[in-house]
Amino acid sequence: MTNYILKRLGQGLLTVFLTVSTVFILIRLAPGDPAVSYAGPLATTEQLAKVREQFGLDKSLLEQYWIFLQQLFTGNLGQSYSFQAPAMQVVFERLPYTLTLATSAILLTAVVAIPLGVWMARRPDTGREFGVNVLTIAGQSMPDFWTGIMLLTVFAVLIPIFPASGFATWGGLVLPTVTIAILQIALISRMVRREMTANFAAPYLTVARSRGVRSSLLTWRYAMGNSAIPVFTALGTRFAAMLNGVVVVEVVFAWPGVGSLIVRALETRDYPLIQATVLITALLAVAVQLLIDLAYPLLDPRVRLGKAATA
Amino acid sequence: MSLDTATPSQPAGASQVRQPSPSAVTKADLARAAATRRRKAAQWKLVVGTICTLLVIIPIILANVLPLPDANFQDLAARRLPPLTDGHLFGTDQLGRDLLSRVLHGGQVSLTIGLLAVLVSGAIGVILGSAAGYFGGWVDTIISRLLEAQMSLPLLMMLLLVVALFGPTIPVITFVIAIAQWPEVARLTRSMVLVEREKPYVSAARILGLHRIQILIQHIIPNVIKQATLVVLLLLAQAVLLESALSFLGAGPQRPFATWGRIISDGQAYITTSWWMVTLPGLVIVLMVVGVNLLGDGLRDRPRRKKKGA
Repeated sequence: MTNYILKRLGQGLLTVFLTVSTVFILIRLAPGDPAVSYAGPLATTEQLAKVREQFGLDKSLLEQYWIFLQQLFTGNLGQSYSFQAPAMQVVFERLPYTLTLATSAILLTAVVAIPLGVWMARRPDTGREFGVNVLTIAGQSMPDFWTGIMLLTVFAVLIPIFPASGFATWGGLVLPTVTIAILQIALISRMVRREMTANFAAPYLTVARSRGVRSSLLTWRYAMGNSAIPVFTALGTRFAAMLNGVVVVEVVFAWPGVGSLIVRALETRDYPLIQATVLITALLAVAVQLLIDLAYPLLDPRVRLGKAATA
Repeated sequence: MSLDTATPSQPAGASQVRQPSPSAVTKADLARAAATRRRKAAQWKLVVGTICTLLVIIPIILANVLPLPDANFQDLAARRLPPLTDGHLFGTDQLGRDLLSRVLHGGQVSLTIGLLAVLVSGAIGVILGSAAGYFGGWVDTIISRLLEAQMSLPLLMMLLLVVALFGPTIPVITFVIAIAQWPEVARLTRSMVLVEREKPYVSAARILGLHRIQILIQHIIPNVIKQATLVVLLLLAQAVLLESALSFLGAGPQRPFATWGRIISDGQAYITTSWWMVTLPGLVIVLMVVGVNLLGDGLRDRPRRKKKGA
């Protein structure tokens, strides 16, 4: 068990390291000069050179990478160009907003999608189920930025019940959460239905039913017990992906999270900020993945983690 | 829904051939059976999916032939006209450009990118996935690690980064979407090849002295390609959505190309006064993506027919 965790941690950290290194090289290969976007288009050559020197961009790529590695181990990725503050601090200030949004979206998804999927699996191929099925297809076909703008128009402009942008009150959380959840509910409920239908058709359930096990127990204990791992994995993976910033939704709702931060950082070529964002979100994603795997034995006593690692 | 109402006029099975059937199963029973309902649902999805898809794709293909104003022709006297005025079916935008024409021409760009992207990602996915499944060993290790690594990466962030790096040109965006999508195809192909590899016909081919690569290409891949193409069809829907999201964020093909994402992001500022500038392009995207998704679903759920004559 300990070995397994250590091994997974090692793998995860390696992934994170390779990711930030790739990003480090990519952004420096990219056209566009941070000095220009910092000093403005009217800056003279000397001013630009000065800015570059100040940012350490006049050094060779290898030297910069060496400095970056040192910074990586001290946990201080340098000053953000546009915020004039330590880049890590800027990201940490934004992180709670993204965490809040991702958590509320995944909770709403779980609360709606699991019962909905079970409902569909219990009456497969009926007219009503078919109707819901088509609705879920529609749900996964809507571009989220469009859904966001439409919800915004209807519920913040035409019928002003919710604030249009930002996170001043808890009401501001509703529209972005719903926007994200629509797609996720569509995907997860279809997945729950698929898993549950397979389990309902399994022989062990027929036997249990013939022994007179209550229908609710059949559904939630027997069939759900065996669907728990894939469903939980799907929810967890989605959550991990959301931590990387629900970029589009954050931009639409002017949500002060990591997603809108990265868009701004990319626009201004704010190297330290890009690196800090990628580092933190990649770390978080890896951690969530690990937690999901560690939870498997709790959901299914047949799972032995050490073995899963070698398989 | 008309699905669970029995339609006795339709032949449901072979029972109509021998009239006095001793079976207790009536036609009505057959029509009510789960399998029949499932088949009908799949048929409905296929038909409606085809209609939705064609409804969008045919005008897009014909956009250059249809009597429409040029997509970039500005008529400042006719700004933000509501739909159905002065021959503008979808109305006009903030610069007096015909919205329908922009949506259709934008669709050409989006569809081209989507199709190319799924072709590339499908090819990469099938090749790498089948190699991983068939050869196993270090090939499998490397490819599987790549798959896992990509799953833990901040995807959209990386896509934005690469587009910022190489410039928002059509080849770059196509490539970026393909890279985002190949893991799904590869994972599926790999798992199917793993199953196929153990079947007797593979051993037979090996005993006959066929080269391993020949076995893979001539015998295994034809057996898995059908299901792989199904996934690719569903990926097309995602590719179109991804492209529109990228261009919404300003990382799509640049002007003068009209793209779905940018038409919507341009219209965002006028949403309170000119609802159609956002609503209608969005509905077109939804219609097409729903169509493609329904098609993919219907093809997957379609009951497997036994091979004729075999």
